[in-house]
Amino acid sequence: MIKKYTLKELSESYAFVAPLIIFVLVFILFPVIGTFLTSMFRDVAFLTKEFIGLDNYKKLLVDSRFWQSFQFTILFTAVSVPLELGLGLLFALLLNEFLPFRGLLRVCVLIPWAIPAAIAARIWELIYNFHYGLANFVVQSFGFSREPINWLGTSGTAFFSLVVSDAWKTIPFVAIILLAGLSAIPDEIYRQAQVDGSNFWQRFFRITLPLLRPVLVVALLFRTIDALRIFDLIYVLTKGGPGGSTTSLSFYGYKYFLVSDFGYGSAVSVTLFAIAFGLSIAYLRLGKFKEEIL
Amino acid sequence: MGERRLKSILIILGSIFMIAFCLMPFLYMLIISISKNPDFLASLGNFQFASDNYHGILTIKSLHFLDYLRNSIVVSAVSAFITVLIAGLAAYAITRLTLLGKVFILLFVLAISMFPQISIVSYLYRFMGRLNWINTYQGLIFPYIAWILPLSLWILVSYFSQIPRDLDRAGLVDGCSKWQILRKIIFPVAAPGLFSTALLAFIFAFNEFMFAVMLTIDYHSRTVPVGIALFQGLHGEIPWGTIMAASTIATVPIVICTILFQRHIIQGITRGAVKG
Repeated sequence: MIKKYTLKELSESYAFVAPLIIFVLVFILFPVIGTFLTSMFRDVAFLTKEFIGLDNYKKLLVDSRFWQSFQFTILFTAVSVPLELGLGLLFALLLNEFLPFRGLLRVCVLIPWAIPAAIAARIWELIYNFHYGLANFVVQSFGFSREPINWLGTSGTAFFSLVVSDAWKTIPFVAIILLAGLSAIPDEIYRQAQVDGSNFWQRFFRITLPLLRPVLVVALLFRTIDALRIFDLIYVLTKGGPGGSTTSLSFYGYKYFLVSDFGYGSAVSVTLFAIAFGLSIAYLRLGKFKEEIL
Repeated sequence: MGERRLKSILIILGSIFMIAFCLMPFLYMLIISISKNPDFLASLGNFQFASDNYHGILTIKSLHFLDYLRNSIVVSAVSAFITVLIAGLAAYAITRLTLLGKVFILLFVLAISMFPQISIVSYLYRFMGRLNWINTYQGLIFPYIAWILPLSLWILVSYFSQIPRDLDRAGLVDGCSKWQILRKIIFPVAAPGLFSTALLAFIFAFNEFMFAVMLTIDYHSRTVPVGIALFQGLHGEIPWGTIMAASTIATVPIVICTILFQRHIIQGITRGAVKG
């Protein structure tokens, strides 16, 4: 086969791909490599740059604030991703029904997706306002709590508030791609199952979930990676507080860049990168593995 | 009461929850933006209509809201246009031409799109500093193009691979060059795909936050999300009405676009994610 390719033909084809490759190399891959290298230097503004090997990483190991943000990031991902997948699946199932105004409903679900995360965060900041926000109005008028709740002011409620706002922003994405997966399942299968006398739950667990698995893995992958690198919401809603309890790894690294400690900030970034990369490979393996046994 | 009846009740309840959950914050933003006091909920529904917030955000020069809006629109539109062009060229080569390492390019680009932004931004900051591009349009546009390319490429590869090959063969017979085939046959046939990719690219660029927060300094290049995130009152009290009016002006056009082109957007999202 290879003999059929002429050099001219190949170089012509690569010319079409070249702009893409150049952009991705210069503005993504080189920066990542640069960050990796920087993480092995003491690289602070106004000090001479000095190679220190893995010292930044050794410092990370005993940095309790780093571990706090590590723990927050993992916990946030572990709580919000399953919640978003669950609700996203529920919304997708609803949208897949023959409802009146189906198109309109789909648009409603898309709206949070279209709003920039930083602006959405500002809206939620007002919703969580202690004195006159919507959240306290609802909680108090339904009698869940007599006193207003300081949503963003205590670490437990701040965590909860972040999970809810993140879910609002990202469920549309999950719902839309799961809906695509659902509508690809032929109705015949369900009709046959109904004739065979199976109930809703049996159909859900024996047909819907298994056939949806590839799409679910994709949604899981995208959502996990996104949740791990959460930044915008935290920047606006909590600034990592109270007491550093909602500082994500992205935000922790950013704080070091802000004070021009590039070496240490890069070490934090590389750690996050490694976690995200490891998880995505694990998921892809998982997906492939499942394809093989199907 | 049969299973069917129960099911329809559950569906109605679920749909009401779904709509309320998705729309409530958006409507809250709209209401606060046209209310005289943002605290009317606390004073037991003492709502008073006022257009001051909009008037303020559009006329007070020192807030620079219109500058932010212009920056966002220019940066996002240019980024989206160039991204689709570059991704279109590459998608054509990947789906049509003899190219070694097609799968490698696709997977490489997919892996790249999973990098956390924080692992890129510090290097970009200093790189742009050396080029004197901090606080400029090009300082945002170039990283944005690279950042949105992976998604655009995946969507376009999925579109292009569905265009029948007979079309380009006909072009070859007529003696067109590859560039002509792409420009005169593939691009026009794939116009809906190019459009939805551009729309998604625009929205992604418009929504981007971390690059914008690091690579811009003031109203010369600062984008709307950063501008709104950093809005503070002059006297300590946060001007919620003004912020919500600004948020409304910034988001309503995007929401309307989303409503008008929902089919395109949904196709874009699903092709970018699901296509294997």
